[in-house]
Amino acid sequence: MKPLGPASRSLFQLLTGVALTISAAASPAADLSAGEKLATERCAACHGKDGNTPIDPSYPRLSGQHEDYLIHSLRAYKQDERKNAIMGAQAKMLSRDDILNLAAYYSRLPGKMSHAR
Amino acid sequence: MYSPCRFTEMTKQMKARRLPVVVATLVGAGLLAAAAPAAAQGVAGQGAAGQGKGDAKAAVQKIGACTGCHSIPGYRASYPMVYSVPMIHGQSGKYIENALNAYRSGDRSHPTMKAIAGSLTDQDIADLAAYYGKSQENK
Repeated sequence: MKPLGPASRSLFQLLTGVALTISAAASPAADLSAGEKLATERCAACHGKDGNTPIDPSYPRLSGQHEDYLIHSLRAYKQDERKNAIMGAQAKMLSRDDILNLAAYYSRLPGKMSHAR
Repeated sequence: MYSPCRFTEMTKQMKARRLPVVVATLVGAGLLAAAAPAAAQGVAGQGAAGQGKGDAKAAVQKIGACTGCHSIPGYRASYPMVYSVPMIHGQSGKYIENALNAYRSGDRSHPTMKAIAGSLTDQDIADLAAYYGKSQENK
């Protein structure tokens, strides 16, 4: 095969860029209303309706927490990398999309946590 | 005195390479293990009165190992998986205590957190839980 000339190479790069942009845009975004519905049904009873007022101090606040950390936590409970009777059982009922939707929902609620010292 | 920045800086510099991060984690754990008894001794007088009860004031001398990661906005854990380090200032106190105990016992798996939690005494954990759980009221 003949090596690509400079013009072909930049065309190739342009097309690759366009393809990547399209595929990124087309990837399914998290469904916030599905996240809210699930949060109300499964999480609010313990973590509080606003995700900031857990009914017991041993339960964490969720609202405003980093989205990728919430995803990581739920997956860890689901896969028993974090061993917890309640959350293990809850997380095992969640699909991949459920976890993404819940994390998107809670991370966007106003929170009380910060990176302060 | 143990400097929290040393561990953070070391970790940052080595972030690009995987193996050194493991080494840094282990070295950091060693530093922390060495520093913890000193910290515990420093507050023994205050801690003895409220045995088993967290003392947020005593925690001020113990948060060095936490702030290097948890107080840097945008900081990400890089090993074994990449994700944002959680915000803990303002989190439920008892949850923090349980989480630290779980890292220590192995009920939660994370190399860095296991090493750090393993260097803490029960009193250290209670103090840190009181500090981070209470911190939002102090603002």
